[in-house]
Formats: sequence, structure tokens, C-alpha cells
Amino acid sequence: MAVLLIIFMTAVFGAFGDDFIEEIFIKPLPPTHLYSYFQFITLINNNDSFVHSNLSPRSIGEVISRFKVEELHLTLTEGQWRHNQWGYPVVDAAPGAELYAWFDPEVEDIDAEWRKLSATLSGLFCASLNFIDSFNTITPQMALWPTGPVKSNVNVTSLLRYASLPREIVCTENLTPWKKLLPCESSRGFSALLNSRMIHNTNYHSIGVHVRKVCASEDCTETKLEIKQTVALVYDYKIIGSNNWSFIKLFGHGLPGACPLATTSTIYIDITSNVTFPFQLSPPPDKIVSSHRGGSVTNLAVYNIETDVEMINVGVKHNSKEKLGVNVPPPLHFNRYVLGYGKEFGGIVTELINNYWTAIDVVVLENAPWWLPIQLSSLRINSEAESKLVKSQYYSPGRSRQKPYHLELLLTLPPRSTTTITIDFEFVFLKWQEYPPDANHGFYIGSAIVTANLPTAKNYTSIPVSGISYNSTFNASQPWYPAVFRTNGAMVSLPTPDFSMPYNVICLACTVVALAFGPLHNICTKELLLKPIGTPLSLTQKVLNFFKRKKE
Amino acid sequence: MMCQLYIICILITVFVIPFNFGIEIPEKFQKSNHTNNWAVLVDTSRFWFNYRHVANVLSIYRSVKLFGIPDSQIILMISDDMACNPRNPRPATIFNNAHEQINVYGDDVEVDYRGYEVSVENFIRLLTGRVPPDTPRSKQLLTDEGSNILIYLTGHGGDGFLKFQDSEEVTSQELADALEQMWQKRRYNEIFFIIDTCQASSMYEKFYSPNILATASSLVGEDSLSHHVDSAIGVYIIDRYTYYVLEFLEHAFSSSEKTMTEFLAVCPKSACLSTVGVRSDLFKRDPSKVPITDFFGSVRPVTITTDPIDILDIPKRKKTEKQNKTNVLEKRKYLPQFPVHLVQGSA
Repeated sequence: MAVLLIIFMTAVFGAFGDDFIEEIFIKPLPPTHLYSYFQFITLINNNDSFVHSNLSPRSIGEVISRFKVEELHLTLTEGQWRHNQWGYPVVDAAPGAELYAWFDPEVEDIDAEWRKLSATLSGLFCASLNFIDSFNTITPQMALWPTGPVKSNVNVTSLLRYASLPREIVCTENLTPWKKLLPCESSRGFSALLNSRMIHNTNYHSIGVHVRKVCASEDCTETKLEIKQTVALVYDYKIIGSNNWSFIKLFGHGLPGACPLATTSTIYIDITSNVTFPFQLSPPPDKIVSSHRGGSVTNLAVYNIETDVEMINVGVKHNSKEKLGVNVPPPLHFNRYVLGYGKEFGGIVTELINNYWTAIDVVVLENAPWWLPIQLSSLRINSEAESKLVKSQYYSPGRSRQKPYHLELLLTLPPRSTTTITIDFEFVFLKWQEYPPDANHGFYIGSAIVTANLPTAKNYTSIPVSGISYNSTFNASQPWYPAVFRTNGAMVSLPTPDFSMPYNVICLACTVVALAFGPLHNICTKELLLKPIGTPLSLTQKVLNFFKRKKE
Repeated sequence: MMCQLYIICILITVFVIPFNFGIEIPEKFQKSNHTNNWAVLVDTSRFWFNYRHVANVLSIYRSVKLFGIPDSQIILMISDDMACNPRNPRPATIFNNAHEQINVYGDDVEVDYRGYEVSVENFIRLLTGRVPPDTPRSKQLLTDEGSNILIYLTGHGGDGFLKFQDSEEVTSQELADALEQMWQKRRYNEIFFIIDTCQASSMYEKFYSPNILATASSLVGEDSLSHHVDSAIGVYIIDRYTYYVLEFLEHAFSSSEKTMTEFLAVCPKSACLSTVGVRSDLFKRDPSKVPITDFFGSVRPVTITTDPIDILDIPKRKKTEKQNKTNVLEKRKYLPQFPVHLVQGSA
């Protein structure tokens, strides 16, 4: 019976051709951190209708087909990826919630569909994405490009919408619906490792859903739909207790085997740092792959996980005690901070540091909310108003309560240099009702996007655009290594009124009125009379006086 | 295929028939004519020191979920993030007891309204069903005239109002009017209203719509007090009234024959230090004959049949008309991920 069932199931899935791939990529970020990246990829052959869905999450499929979305990226992130210390992640994400999507060219009113899409996704992922509206949505012109194949005569830029909510909190309630989209949910396979108590005890965690089309044939006339769910975690060895990590220490328990519905289940562990920080892997990997990409060599230990296995606990034991190493920053990293004092004017500074020996082309996208107007006239690059570094520029001024400020710069960063982009803003008074309940906490500014065309694959871990699974990074040398990064966000404190002021005013005004009213009332209603002054009369004298007056 | 279906039908009948004779509703319970159960659980306070209110609401959430109300029929509103708050030394957990016995946040919590979304406007819109057009189903109270609704509110309140997020208030009159609107729109069968705040009973005094049973943790002029402090996190961890309610509900799983009267007497003044208020004049049934599962449990409509059902007779889904468009195979290609044309153009 079981054999028949398996044959039947393989026949069904074979016919529709849905594939499910689960992968873990673990990279030590010496000396103090560990990066683990999960990706769950569902490939759907029949992407026209979601009446029947096999392995694909139907809820996502319906959203895609209902709103005619060509490509969708949603990430929910807590913490900040430190590029200068940790290098580059496979997929970068802005702190908070970030959503961007390309729509089908047939969609007439993209803005309306975009609002509906974000409202629907907010219900699906228990996030406040319904706060996305026209006042925080932009259309990036140069920074973001579709990762899926597009038809030749389509203007992809006009179909794109981008919004980020830097204040969004990310917790178990977001992970719960995310896990329910997977074919094995959290019962089997790699997703069983995602225990919310362990993964929220990290320095950085990010969950994401990325939907795009991928080529199904050589000439790319047919496409498949790819739904990629990702989790990125950065563990601190201090929280784990030591730099000898294992699945039990990281996730609370071992891996109970692969998801039975998965085509491949693979774990990749980056063991390049073994040279400087020697360690032993246990159990020993199935094979070790050496990947040469753009001049840098990466050694990866590969585990192919089967369905019916005993609990697997992959771990690392370091030979020596903790060592300190010199941290070599990646070719390009950046820093962002807020300038100024007082409650009238301020500025945002974005520093881009190019450590490499050739020039690097980058696009910087600054996205300021309407309550933080940035003026193009105040833009300075290395303190110059007109810089030769700028190759192209796009600026879209905001409008109060309707549209954010949006600035994009295409820059060529000279070799071994630091480029400083400064732009001033002024603080705006909000209406009384527009302040959030915790206005004194401060207001978040979203991250800037930095899209770079890296000439080297040093620290680069991303999957090439035409690749699907992680093994497509092996020996994938390209002339350029494009990457999209997010800088750190920032926080400003807007001029916030004293919310107890009306109460104070009432108290003060009442006191003043009472103080003024009492004497005035007395003056107006009471007559001043002279009182005879003399020695007080005795009672008998008073009686005598009374009778005397009567007689008169 | 037919053969398999028959086997399944026979199996179903074999398993189902015995229950036909096994289940009997105890006579002491008056029959309720509700067909579904919903719960609206609201925590209205923000900021870390109000940890206990989040623990309150999540404790009730956990209980109603264990009693059988599915997540799709629970609207959970939490004003602030306590579980993943940087001040929480145990991320992704919320405990309602200093002994850390139960993590009420669990591994499968679904918060429908959170953070700034918890406002008076959204709460009243949710109750009355006047939500914006694109609101997802998980943020709507899709009740009908057969719905029994459990409404639980916790936060900071005063005589005649309940504060939301420390910045706005809902008054007892507004709440009473919202419930009346629900009644006129046939959005409920019966409501059980619980409120745990200071001077809580002032919130239900203005109610005038039928079929509402209300209880409050304290009378007008009284404060509702918290139960105990967790020195590991330095804040009070649960309120007294909810603590005893939870204790009652934890013991009610084994015997679900408990009645609403027992529930209403759950926290005597010696335990709560405040007088629990009850208002039952709007409620048509006798609370002593109403099982608590009428509000905390969930009705699942089950039709038991002994006749085999011919599944093949189900009307087939209409096939969408095939588009006559000839599918022109258009070539697609991956774009460069960087505006290379602009760089080269200017160089």
C-alpha cells in the first residue's frame, strides 16, 4: 500500500512538476558571530491558476494571480546587518518590514492594486503592512531591478512599487504564518529547526518571501514560478556560550531529517575560515567542494540529508580557545548617521567606503518620509555641490501627507576612498492627532538602498540571478557581481508637543481666573463703609442707646 | 475510484454511528441556538511596564484556543510588542507566572492587530463591521446572527472610559452604542463581555442591547490590582482577576460541565481585593444553566448521516473559458541587476 501511495504521489507531483528544495548555508563570521541562512524554494510549473496547488502555498499563489504580481519581495527583519564586520549576506534586508513588487504590464491602476496587495499581505503575515500607502511608497528608478526574466519591450521601472516600515516589529506571530506556507510546515525538514525562542535570541534575524519567475526552457519562452522563503540569522557566540556551535545549541534540537516532499535537502557549511580558526566538523560531511569565484576561493562542506535518518546534530569544535583575528572589511561598506542639533534643521550623512583598488559603481537611494523634507539644493558629495562622481541623478520631491522624498544617485566611487553624501532636512510639525502614542520615542527613517556593481566576489555570497539553488554559486565567475545592500536606519526626534499641555493650560487658566475673579467680584458687589472706631460699649450701654434711638 | 469512495463512506458510517447514541447534552443546560463562536481579545496598553496586560490577554487567548475556537475566529489585538521587546531577557516568550510554567506566547500565536493598529477607531470598526474595503479576513469580525462572541478587554481605565495606547479613550457610551449597532445589524446571538481594568464595571453600565452578559474585575470606585511581580524582568506579570479566571479555566478542561455562574464567582473579594461586578439583566438565559463552553468553546456544525453520499454528484467546477488568444511565445531574458547602460553611456 505504502509503495503504491509513493508511486501515486510521485506520479502526481511528476505530472505537475512542482519541486521543493530546502537548503541551509552556514558561515562563521569570525571571531564572534555565526551566520545561518535557510532557503526553501518551491518551483511551480503551472503558474496560470492556483485552483490546484500541490507543493506551492495556495495563499501566496492566489495573491500573485489576483493582483497580477510579476515579482514580489517581502522581508521582515529585526536587527542590523553589519557589513563592515560580517561581509555580505546572501539576501540583504532593511530593518523592519520591506515590501517591493513589480506588477504585470496589464494592470491599469498599479497604485490601487499595490494598496490592496499590501493590505492582503498584512493579513497573511500578521504584520502592519496595511500602513503602506501612497505617502510612503516610491518607485525606484535605478536601484532595484527584477530578478526574474522579463519580456523585451516592457518598461519595468514604472511597474515597480517600494515601501519600507522601519518601525515594524518582528516576532513569533510573523514566523507562524510564514512556516505554514511550507509544504512540510514545521513538522519535518529544515523548517523544524526554526524554533521561535531560539531564532529570536539572535543579533539579527530576517524572514522573507521572494516570488519571481524563472526560465523553464533554454530560450526562456516558458517560465516557472519560484517562491523562495528565506530566514537569515546571525548568532552571537556569547549568547550560545562558546564558539563551538551545534544544531542543538543553535536551534534547541537536532535536525529530524529532510522534508519527504523535498527533491533535495542540502546543508552547506563554509569552512574557508578553517585555515585561520581551525575547527572540526561532526559528523563528517558527505563531500567538500572548493568553489573559485571571481578570484576568491570558498571551501564548503556539503551534507545531503535523507528523509529517514536519525536526528542529525551538525556541529563544530574549535581546536584552540577563542582567538582574535584582524577583521578585514569587505570591498564596499557604508555608514549612515543623522546630523544636527535642535528641533529645526538636521541632515543625513551616508558614507560609502571603497576599500578596493578599482572604482566601484553604486546607486544610492535615499527615501525620506514627507515629514522630513530633504532639499536637493542642500545635497553635497564630499562637500561639493557639483561632484564629478555623479553619473546620473533622480530626485522626486515629496508632498505633505501624500508622497515621500526620493533621491537616487548613480556614483562612481574612486578606488580606496570614502565618499560622503550629505543632505539637509528640516523638521516638520505634525498635527496633534498624527503623533503616534509614543511620540517621544522618536521617529524612524528607513534605510538607504545601496546597489553596487562589485568588481570582485570577495565576501560575496549571493546566488547569481539565473541560478536557483545555492550550488549555482559554485565557480560562478561573472564580470560583475551586482548586489543590493541596505544601510542602517536612523532615528530623529521631531518637535513633539507636551501632550499634557492642554491639562496644564486648563489648570493654570482656572487658577488665574479664580485669582482674578475673587477680588473683582468683591469689588463689584461689596460696598466699603466706614466703621466708627471707639471703645467697645458694654451690653447695658447698648440697650440704653437702643431705647434712646427709639425715642428720637 | 468508485470502489474507494464507497469504502470511505462505509468507514465514515461505521465510525460515526456509535457517536449518535453516545452524546447526550446534560438536561440542566438550557439549549443555546448559536451556530458559531468568536472571540475578540484586546490589550489596550502600550509600554513595557504594562507587560501584565499582554500576559492577561494572551492567557485568555491560549485558553479559548485550547477550548477549541480556531485562530481564524479569534481577533487578537495587542498594543505593544512584549515578547520581542529588547527589555525582555527571554525573547519570544511571555509568561503569566513568575515560575515560568506556561509560555503564553507559544509557537503558533497569530496577532491580528498589533502596535499602532490597536486604536479606538479600529476596535469600533471591527465590532460594527465597518472596515475599509481591502481589509483581509483575519482582521474582520465575520459574525452573524448565530454567533456567540466573547469580548475580553484589558488595560487602564477609569469611571466610564478605557484608555487605548495611553493616548485616546473609548467611553462606555460609545461601546454601548457599538454593541447596539452590532445587534441591529444582526452580528451576534449572545455576547459575554469581560473587562479587567480599574473601575471596570462602569464600562458595561451603559449597555442597552439584549443578550449581553457582562462581568468586570472591579466596581466603580475600586482599583483592579495585579497579582505578583516577576523579579527577573522587574514588572508585574499578571492581574489578579485574570489570574483566577485562568486558574478556573485551566481546571475546566477535564470537566466542561461548569456553568457561567461558577465563572462569574471565580474571584471572590478575598482573592481579587476588588469586587467582581456582574450584569445579567440583559441576558435572557439563567447563567447557572449556561455552560461556559457556550462562550469559551466552539460549536462545530456536524451533520451525522447514515445514508451514503454520492460524491460524484457534486456539480463540477465550471472551467474557465479558454481564452481564444493564441499564446504568443515571447522570449524573456534576465536583466542586468545594475543600470550598466547609464555608466557606459556617460563614460
